[in-house]
Amino acid sequence: MRKALFVALALTVGSATAAPFVLPAKWMAANPSQAKTGGEVRIYSLSDYKTLNPFTSSEADSLPTLMGLDGAGLAGLFAQDPTTDKFIPHMADAMPTVSNGGKRFVIKLRQGMKFSDGQPITADDFVTTFKIHTDDKVGSNSYDNFFINGKPITLKKIDNNTLQFDFPQVSASAYSRMSFAPWPDHVFGPVYKSKGAEGIKAMWGISTNPSAIVSPGPWVLSSYQAGQRAVLKKNPYFGEWNKDAAGKPLPYLDTMSIRLLKDLNAGLAAYLAGQIDIFGASKADDLAQIKRAIDSGNLKATLVPNVSPNSTSQWIVFNWNKAGDPFKQKIFRDVRFRQAMSHIANRQGMIQLALGGLGSEVYTGVYPVFKNYQYASTPKYPYNLAQASKLLAQMGFTKKNAQGYLVDKTGKVLEFNMSTNAGNTVREQLGRIFADEAKKVGVKINFTPIDFNNIVDQLNSKGANRPFDAILLGLSGGDNIWPYGSNVVPCGGNLHAFNVPDNGKCLTPQESLMTKLYFQGDQTLDDDARRKIGEQLSKAEALNQGFIYLVGTNYHVTYNSRLGGEYDRDLWDAYNGSRPYAHVTTYIK
Amino acid sequence: MLTFLLRRFLSAIPTLLLSSLLIFFIIQLAPGDFLTPARLNPNITPEHIAALQRNLGLDQPTPVQYWRWLTNMFRGDFGESFAYQQSVLALAWPRILNSMCLVLPYLILYYLIAIPLGVYGALRQNSLGDKVTNVVMYILLGFPSFFLALLVIFGLLQLRYATGWDIPINGMTSDNYLSLSPLGKFLDIAKHVAIPALVLAISDAAGLTRVVRGQMLEFLHADFVRTARSKGVTEFSAVYRHTLRNALVPIIAGLGGLLPAVISGAGFIEVVFAYPGITPMTLDAIASQDLFLIAGVTMLSVILLIIGNVLADILLSVVDPRIRYA
Repeated sequence: MRKALFVALALTVGSATAAPFVLPAKWMAANPSQAKTGGEVRIYSLSDYKTLNPFTSSEADSLPTLMGLDGAGLAGLFAQDPTTDKFIPHMADAMPTVSNGGKRFVIKLRQGMKFSDGQPITADDFVTTFKIHTDDKVGSNSYDNFFINGKPITLKKIDNNTLQFDFPQVSASAYSRMSFAPWPDHVFGPVYKSKGAEGIKAMWGISTNPSAIVSPGPWVLSSYQAGQRAVLKKNPYFGEWNKDAAGKPLPYLDTMSIRLLKDLNAGLAAYLAGQIDIFGASKADDLAQIKRAIDSGNLKATLVPNVSPNSTSQWIVFNWNKAGDPFKQKIFRDVRFRQAMSHIANRQGMIQLALGGLGSEVYTGVYPVFKNYQYASTPKYPYNLAQASKLLAQMGFTKKNAQGYLVDKTGKVLEFNMSTNAGNTVREQLGRIFADEAKKVGVKINFTPIDFNNIVDQLNSKGANRPFDAILLGLSGGDNIWPYGSNVVPCGGNLHAFNVPDNGKCLTPQESLMTKLYFQGDQTLDDDARRKIGEQLSKAEALNQGFIYLVGTNYHVTYNSRLGGEYDRDLWDAYNGSRPYAHVTTYIK
Repeated sequence: MLTFLLRRFLSAIPTLLLSSLLIFFIIQLAPGDFLTPARLNPNITPEHIAALQRNLGLDQPTPVQYWRWLTNMFRGDFGESFAYQQSVLALAWPRILNSMCLVLPYLILYYLIAIPLGVYGALRQNSLGDKVTNVVMYILLGFPSFFLALLVIFGLLQLRYATGWDIPINGMTSDNYLSLSPLGKFLDIAKHVAIPALVLAISDAAGLTRVVRGQMLEFLHADFVRTARSKGVTEFSAVYRHTLRNALVPIIAGLGGLLPAVISGAGFIEVVFAYPGITPMTLDAIASQDLFLIAGVTMLSVILLIIGNVLADILLSVVDPRIRYA
């Protein structure tokens, strides 16, 4: 009761001066009163950090991202609430005033926000950061975020605490596009004015003295030993405007240390030895070893396998642009053939054999982890060899030759080449399983793994005669706001890999419908209206079977029992993770 | 001696030019480039990729890129890494120093194990000790060092569980390294380096041990050793001054390769032990086609190979008085 009063008091006092962001208690597994302050979380990274520069950093798991909370969970002007998937204000003081038909957003900034050097975070910091990201000479990875179909979003400062975004068109992802980490104008602004893009690119290299780094987020770099470890210290100013539901400043921890462990086996060994607190287990062997260590009492840890599917899938794509081989082009363009191929894919067998039993079946381009975009009305073509034979017979492949392969009236064998990138053992196994099943119905597949870069060249090729039959590959990523790939779903996209003619035109009505619905949904701000468009789009996509989706890996969670501060168990999945990003709520028990 | 050095220096110039040409164009022969993975990223537009291509200079024809790299190298600039956006030398140098911390102790252990074992095997030929050494060495010869390392890590982990000792199983330093005294830092690194260096030395010593043993056996029965013995030199002098010195001549001739070995790191051992040497970085660079980082590191080791060979030649003339560079 006293606590509730305290929160209420904090809120009323706050509104008079500066209201902090209060992390909702319903997100968390434990009551905030259980959290202890201080201590260190020890994590690891598989790849070496390349730069401290937030404008040139290109990896998802980078130090600027960890320091600035850039684009992940609790981040930027708005943050996505994992319990409702709606956006809530974080660095913004309240939800924006929307006008101009959903294209103009006027945003008041939260009062009392400060960088790690104590300087206030103001509209200038957002405007300068925006300017540098949108300078193509800088080469920022966020560049595309600020353009919609080639047209720029504009940002202008109304006053020190007010920003105005103008979108060239209504955008479904407006809130996530506006949520970027602001970097200090007093550090980057003068350099950008005097030296331009070159000056920005030369700043904050990986060997920069950590004392020169200024962070807007919960952490700031304390030391970096190349190839060994990075140590981040709590930014004490972050806790002034970020509190838990009990009013305690976030993050709870003093230190986050990140070991650089190039080799996954070295990471596993360090986790089993209790030297790191969290391990991203993906292989069945790793999970088994962790389980054994826990069971024998050598490791005190929590292990939850198969929490959810990952946002990824392997697929097979057939080339519709084969002017040089009209026989194959005709087959690949026939939807019955592609449906038959989906019936041939023994997805359970693939999960058992290639993924060690730890995987999920996938039937559409919207990965199953995006739960709010799964519809019962989306057609599926599951493993069913009899159905596949029937569809192929409808296409005229009724007879088999002496070798047992299907032939058409003229005696042509139903045969094609399929490749994947050599060295990816999972894909090589998936390809073999698929080819074996195909053989059972009489389809001859010549499966050859080839070099990754050659595959990408083939997939990216354009024109009436592209140089492949079928490719087995995978894509990953996306969000639950509009989970359809912008260059995968609409015609003309460079990853619309089944049909890429020179003019980028659609071939089938299904494709035209997909393209129309994609842009319609992408320009719908209202979540529920967008989800309705998604239902039609998922149906069109599944009926078209441009990509034959196969299987995806699963997400597993394991962490040392000394850690607290994880999400409520119901919220865990590959999209939310098991705890808020960058350990803002993690504490040591 | 001076004319010898001058001659070697002059012959090094075309060697380096040719190798730079080969290095650069062989890397370019591989399909794709640094931006290939970006082309498969559903979140990156083709326009953005084109801008990145311009920024990295990848839109220029290959000969132009080569010429730019070559002329910059004369000024000591080995180019800039695409991934790190930083000069190759500034990036590679700390990694090379780390590798040296592992490779130097490894080399010392390597010779300390291999040469005495080889001499012992020759002096006590076919004794029980010699036979046991031979069997163990044969087994190690067929064992890849990284696999041995994985077994060692597994063993260390079990030992840790059983005893609770804080045995380092990977990395180069402990978490509290920066707060240690200079002596403490030295001991901390020594503690981390000891196990990978020993694993590497033991697995590699097998080959050298057999060479030393064979050489020693050959020279122990040579005429000049018999003559020395008949003149009444001590057994110690016969073995170490007359035999060993001659037996080591081919090994010293091979020392030239050590200098690049010192900078090119300890190979997969570094990966398995998550050691921050140059090998993991080079492997990353190859995987991501970080052109100038691969080319720069390779050029460095070519330069050191040339210098190392000159040094080995000089050393040879000291050990073997029959060789003169006049």
